[in-house]
Amino acid sequence: MKPLALSGRAIAVNAREGAPNHQVLRLVTPADPRVRGPQDAVLVKGGGSVPTGPPSGLVVQVGGEATLAEPGTICLGDEFDYLAAGDVIAVHADSRRVRTLYRRASRHNSFLTTERCNHYCLMCSQPPKNIDDRWLLDEIAAALPLVDPATRSFGLTGGEPLLQWERLVALLAQARDVLPNTAVHVLTNGRAFASPEIADAWAAIAHPDLSAGIPIYAAVDSIHDYVVQAEGAFDETVLGVLRLKERRQRVEIRVVLHSITAPRIVETATWLARNLPFVDHVALMGLENTGFAIANDALLWIDPIEYRASLARAVDILDAARVPTSIYNLPYCVLERPVWPFAAQSISDWKNAYLPQCDQCAAKRSCAGFFSTGRPKQSRAIEPLRTFDLTQA
Amino acid sequence: MSHFQPSTAFEASDGELELLPFRFERLDGDQYLVSNLVGDMTFLSGPDLRRLAALDLAPDDALYALAFEKLLLRRKGQRAPLQLLAMRQRSRSSFLRTPTQLHILVVTLRCEHSCPYCQVSRRSTDRDRYDMSFETAARAVEVALSSPSPHIKLEFQGGEPLLNFDLIRAVVPFAREKAEAAGKTLDFVITSNLALLNDDVLAFCKTHDIVLSTSLDGPEDLHNRNRPRPGGDSHQLAVEGIRRAQATLGKERVGALMTTTEASLGRVEEIVDEYVRLGLDGIFLRPLSPYGFAVKTKQYAKYDSRLWLEFYERGLRYILRLNREGTYFPEFYATLLARRMLSDIPTGYVDLRSPAGIGLGALVYNYDGKVFASDEGRMLAEMGDRTFELGDLATDDYASIILSDKLIDLVGRSLTQCAPQCSSCAFEPHCGADPVYHHATQTDPVGIKPLSGFCARQKGIMTLLVDLLENSPEDAAVLRRWAA
Amino acid sequence: MEFAAASQSLGALREAAYRLIGQATCQIDSVDGVHRCRLQAARSGDADLRARFLDLVTDENLREKLAAETGPTRNLILALAFGALATAADASAG
Repeated sequence: MKPLALSGRAIAVNAREGAPNHQVLRLVTPADPRVRGPQDAVLVKGGGSVPTGPPSGLVVQVGGEATLAEPGTICLGDEFDYLAAGDVIAVHADSRRVRTLYRRASRHNSFLTTERCNHYCLMCSQPPKNIDDRWLLDEIAAALPLVDPATRSFGLTGGEPLLQWERLVALLAQARDVLPNTAVHVLTNGRAFASPEIADAWAAIAHPDLSAGIPIYAAVDSIHDYVVQAEGAFDETVLGVLRLKERRQRVEIRVVLHSITAPRIVETATWLARNLPFVDHVALMGLENTGFAIANDALLWIDPIEYRASLARAVDILDAARVPTSIYNLPYCVLERPVWPFAAQSISDWKNAYLPQCDQCAAKRSCAGFFSTGRPKQSRAIEPLRTFDLTQA
Repeated sequence: MSHFQPSTAFEASDGELELLPFRFERLDGDQYLVSNLVGDMTFLSGPDLRRLAALDLAPDDALYALAFEKLLLRRKGQRAPLQLLAMRQRSRSSFLRTPTQLHILVVTLRCEHSCPYCQVSRRSTDRDRYDMSFETAARAVEVALSSPSPHIKLEFQGGEPLLNFDLIRAVVPFAREKAEAAGKTLDFVITSNLALLNDDVLAFCKTHDIVLSTSLDGPEDLHNRNRPRPGGDSHQLAVEGIRRAQATLGKERVGALMTTTEASLGRVEEIVDEYVRLGLDGIFLRPLSPYGFAVKTKQYAKYDSRLWLEFYERGLRYILRLNREGTYFPEFYATLLARRMLSDIPTGYVDLRSPAGIGLGALVYNYDGKVFASDEGRMLAEMGDRTFELGDLATDDYASIILSDKLIDLVGRSLTQCAPQCSSCAFEPHCGADPVYHHATQTDPVGIKPLSGFCARQKGIMTLLVDLLENSPEDAAVLRRWAA
Repeated sequence: MEFAAASQSLGALREAAYRLIGQATCQIDSVDGVHRCRLQAARSGDADLRARFLDLVTDENLREKLAAETGPTRNLILALAFGALATAADASAG
């Protein structure tokens, strides 16, 4: 189980004189008939021959020997072999640092907007850093015009994207204009929306398919605030959800399940069904054991089998209140049969994996599987299912 | 990990907490039912209630978590709990903006049944005296359609309305035409014992998309005892009628209502079985109402609300068992109350509103053109009590009926939010004013609640439902499905 | 039964007496700083009427305290729901 390398170091970057140190590039095939702009680089796999004189003069070579010394050539190792035409990468020439920003074939593209955050969640998979990374938004702005307009959706994550809300709003307006058919899902703690000014600005974008994914870890302020390590967070987050819904914006509530939140999942679902039944989606999510979750393993780990029954009740409570509900990140074998139809293949493709015994399982093709990131930890209940029929769930 | 704060760092400190408005009801054995401003309910022991009221909560206290989730307290300065309560209260009151939707036309007072509990019917052949005329019906349709509601439900009642089917046959197309001109949608219901159902009537119902609502009191002997008619074949005719109507109109277009009598009390399972056997879509376990002949024949006094509650609880538990075993079959009163307890969508059920639904939720046009605030109000008038008579189709229009001093006075006095004992009652958010009932039983539309059978039944059923929702997960799941 | 007027409100006694209607009648006289309640059971042999009345008085005292303590909050919520503070009405409730 190993995730895809979405970032790494180039073997060699032979920059041309005068070229900017940081570049965002779209990869195209040598045979691509489309007009190529200055952001397009020809992708060459293995020892394939390099076409002479691409208009931009840029070549990205993956694998093979790094023998190409022509200026304008970037040589990547085999870990980037997944790259394909239409993908977008970012390259820092000085440090040779390369990051894949967008994969055209993936349903799980997301852009990191910042590593700064006003939360410090016990299980954060992307531990926040207090650094100046405002260039990340510039990079996304440069990448958006290179994204295939047929892309169904992409995510914006952090950190807390709304910390720079004015710039984020501008970016979303840009997405609305250049990718009008692409849904955008922003993962935010929602606290910024407690300010009517920010909620108004968000609604005024009038993006055709924009939603905010907002975590509520418990319906008790002290528990939620403890999980996110920020006093007053619960109150602002709930206010933020209300402000967005008052403005008819789409909101998803995300509940990550670990040993602090899972024991109250029935109460949390009951509270959501009573108080926020108008949200557009609730995701009840298995824990990704990476980042701070590893550091806090002793505090957070709970075998999903322990909360299997209460998770099923929670789903039933939300479903009966007509709240669209999904279970994320948990394989069928740890879920009660009646809630199988709610389980989604939610784990991003680049970090989604299956165990050796999954090859014997009848449900593998539609199962969420596992995270390959961090230090994966498995339930004792994992076992191949002999038969699998969702209609009989 | 030192850079993470312990849970205690996020707990409320002394003096930081503040109670939100809540109400409570004492149950047996120092147990209380507590409900927040919008009726989220929970059970608390006496010591816990007193600890909560005193805000004497220890750190990491299970009572704190419960009270916070149920919106019984907040930390000073928190805004979300107030906004949630305000938004939900606003939603719960939004029925006020929906004007009169249900309009009942009593097309005849005549009936071929002679049920002892019946409120109003006449066994008479005098058509001229007890049948509604087309002119009166047309006027009723005009008044109904001038209610601001975009969606109007017209219900034909009796007596036995099929005894004046010619009128229904004439009024339905007339009403359709008028509704279309007014840009409103119409639903039709005929409330009939089905004894006179024939192919002609069925074909008409099919053509005009009319729902049939009938009476079925249970198994044959019980039904026929409750509902005598010449030939003693009421049950047989009702069952045949239900089957034919189901076949022609579809199962969802036929409903039945049962009336509880003393003879019903020990037989709730059989009554339910009869409904299930006939493929009816649910049952409404109703109390006997204190109007009309029910009072005259002393039927009403024969059993009190305690006996009825036992009957209801036994029936509900039996129905829940059927549902757990896989038969979807709701009890409609529990469904209605569960919906009120589990959501803030107003139900609009006329008897469970405050201000009362009389007139504002329903209007009744009697065969002779008199207009009543509710069907029960019409029954009282048949007994000589015209308290709920609002006007006459010959002289009044919608505005003069709805704005009549009489209705305004009755509605104004019906607010549970400020009625004695209701105002502090934990069940008030899910209850309503029933001024006609209290007028009929206590000659006072507000009523002394410690003496009210309505109050005793409401409290009993709601306590049972909260107990099921809180303490019986499988039954709670069934109730949630009903309410969905 | 006697209650010191200094520590027991008359309103709560009246509410408790109201809740006993049907089970007992209760006459309340207030003289010289003392509320005197005379209970008369509707049925003879109602042994725990006195205890029931005291329970009801306890409940009513608690209701009185809650009403006083939460009244301003209740008004604030109702103002948010229906008053000038109710902006963007119903959008979220829909």
